[in-house]
Amino acid sequence: MNCNNVNEGVNEREEGNKTITYWSSPNPQEFALAKQLVDEWNELGHEVKVKLQALPAGQSSEEVLLSAMVAGTTPDICSNIWPGITNDFIRAKGLLALDLFDDYDLVMGERVPEDILESVKAKDGHTYQIPWKTNPIMVQYNTKMFRDAGVTEFPKTYSGFLDAASKITKDNDGDGRIDQWMGYRDIRPIWWQRYYDYYTSYINASGGKTFFDKGELAIDVDASNKVFKFYQQIYEGGYFPQSTLQGNAFLYSRIAVEFTGPWNISFLEKNAPEDLEYDFAPLPVPDDYEGEIYTYGDHKNIAIFSNTKYPEESWEFVKFLISKEADYRLLEFASQIPIRKELLTDPDFAEFFKQNLSLARFARQAAFTRGVDSVRDFKEILDSVSRYYEKASVYGKMTPDEATHDMIEAIEILREWNK
Amino acid sequence: MKKLSQVIKPGFLLSMPYMAHLTLFFIYPVVFSLILVFHRWDVVTPMEFVGLKNFIRVFSDEVFMQSIINTGVFLVLHIPLQIMVALFFANLLNQKIIARGFFRTLYFLPVVVSGVVVTILFQQLFNYDTGLLNQFLYKLGLGQVPWLVSENWAMPSIAFMATWKNVGLYVILFMGGLQSIPTELYEAAELEGASSTQRFYYITLPMLNPTIVTVIVLSVIGGFSLFIEPYVMTGGGPMNSTLSAVLYIYNQAFNFGHMGYASTMGLFFAVIIFTVVKIQRKFVETEVY
Repeated sequence: MNCNNVNEGVNEREEGNKTITYWSSPNPQEFALAKQLVDEWNELGHEVKVKLQALPAGQSSEEVLLSAMVAGTTPDICSNIWPGITNDFIRAKGLLALDLFDDYDLVMGERVPEDILESVKAKDGHTYQIPWKTNPIMVQYNTKMFRDAGVTEFPKTYSGFLDAASKITKDNDGDGRIDQWMGYRDIRPIWWQRYYDYYTSYINASGGKTFFDKGELAIDVDASNKVFKFYQQIYEGGYFPQSTLQGNAFLYSRIAVEFTGPWNISFLEKNAPEDLEYDFAPLPVPDDYEGEIYTYGDHKNIAIFSNTKYPEESWEFVKFLISKEADYRLLEFASQIPIRKELLTDPDFAEFFKQNLSLARFARQAAFTRGVDSVRDFKEILDSVSRYYEKASVYGKMTPDEATHDMIEAIEILREWNK
Repeated sequence: MKKLSQVIKPGFLLSMPYMAHLTLFFIYPVVFSLILVFHRWDVVTPMEFVGLKNFIRVFSDEVFMQSIINTGVFLVLHIPLQIMVALFFANLLNQKIIARGFFRTLYFLPVVVSGVVVTILFQQLFNYDTGLLNQFLYKLGLGQVPWLVSENWAMPSIAFMATWKNVGLYVILFMGGLQSIPTELYEAAELEGASSTQRFYYITLPMLNPTIVTVIVLSVIGGFSLFIEPYVMTGGGPMNSTLSAVLYIYNQAFNFGHMGYASTMGLFFAVIIFTVVKIQRKFVETEVY
């Protein structure tokens, strides 16, 4: 490859220990997999070794990466890049354009579906991130709790969900206080918490729409109203507690459902008590909804930072991370879905999915996911959503119509300020 | 006789470490933030001059105004509570009681425990559905209190927690003040037939005034920087009722990358603090004996 094209002004290589730093997600399963892959790479006798570090702790990965960029302490490679933040990194000239590597088209063409590849292209026509994995949000539910409540099938609609919730939420020990709930969500107005309730339900209720269309705000008012109303009914009925539940309430059957991604499968396999029966299903949809069921796909991508001294070697390691073998292990060890063409029909993965039906469900759902809009203010927009979600749904202080109306107005104001 | 330059040089050299510290951690940040108020800067891309836009936004930002009011509410709740509780325990621990040293240490313990740890502990204590406080109240037939999930209760709960966390420090200050009051005053008052309440109001309280001023000043400074408690416990909710000014400024700066706007709010907030401290000094310090 032409190194000058990729990274002008790359420093002279240091003699002696040549190392590239790789930050992986701190999620225990994913970190264990990253360690395996790094150890293997280092044992293969490459001139440049890889040093693995878990992404440092912070309220969000984005906050940590931005701080690292400012401090000039970014790693060479990170595999926990949220697509919503890459625009900021690109504007700061913090990422390498990966499409300038000679074999980029060949590698990507084999792995990533064309539409997804197109969606991660930057405005300047270059690609700075590799779509690595997607974690579709689905409902994880305790089948026994549903059975005990007389619900034999996971409800597909809002009314079915609320009906089941009214049967499952109860006081088990007879002290007059509720101690078993339908589900639980963190209600604190923290922007990224809304991925797992309002935003995922909005994508679902709108039939796969996001907030923007061709860069313009285009919130589906009807879908938003329905989502606010759905959660309002949940909190009004007391089906989700307003307080924080200590520990993992799903493991100990204190809640019957959790909105989660495939990463939870390996966690449950390791930690679930023997008598915990669970399954996964798509999120419930509004009663009048027809069509495919969409959800939020928590996409995480891989990027190489432009301060790397070893762009070629970093690219080689990235190719190793996204190889078919590594993708297989991503499924096997971390229970996460690689973004790979025809994953479900690929003969190399077919047997795995036959043996792992839960993951197969997520892999099927992965085809019907939407991520986040690539707009500058997305975090702040979700912060606004959080405030109206809290006011309308959690505390019932405004109607869903008012909440959607005021939320759109607030988003327009903040976009105007940020222009 | 030494030349002037011979005196200045070592003096200059000796003050260098402090000057470096002052420049790096005070002058530079202040000057930089004053530059930032006229700019938009998201940390990763170059600054963009926006004139007075950030100032206009500050005055039209209802959430920021609410965060200032919330901080004021916290101060109004926290400071009197802190003084009363600290004074009560300082009086108690100033008596000749058994294991006085042990109790003094015990009251000081929360001060040295990490703020985050205390906050997480109280988050569980205040938990509406599963918290110990509500379990206890429910067993007494008093019902459950929405400590952190009600607009009306959340800030008083945080003020209570902050008092518990910091009271040990103020107990120590008050005890120092109590021990410096001449015993002759009490003896004379006793001879004149003053009751213990009268002795407290007419001797202890006036003589403690300098300590009370110190406690108020320290509490106001601490109260204005309210951050960890709402950050961990409530995220600023319910419905912005615990969103402190510092938490809002932090979110704008580090979550949303509005460094210029955050600096402008910081400047505005600094003016408020300065004004409050000036007023406070005028009204409280005049009473110092």
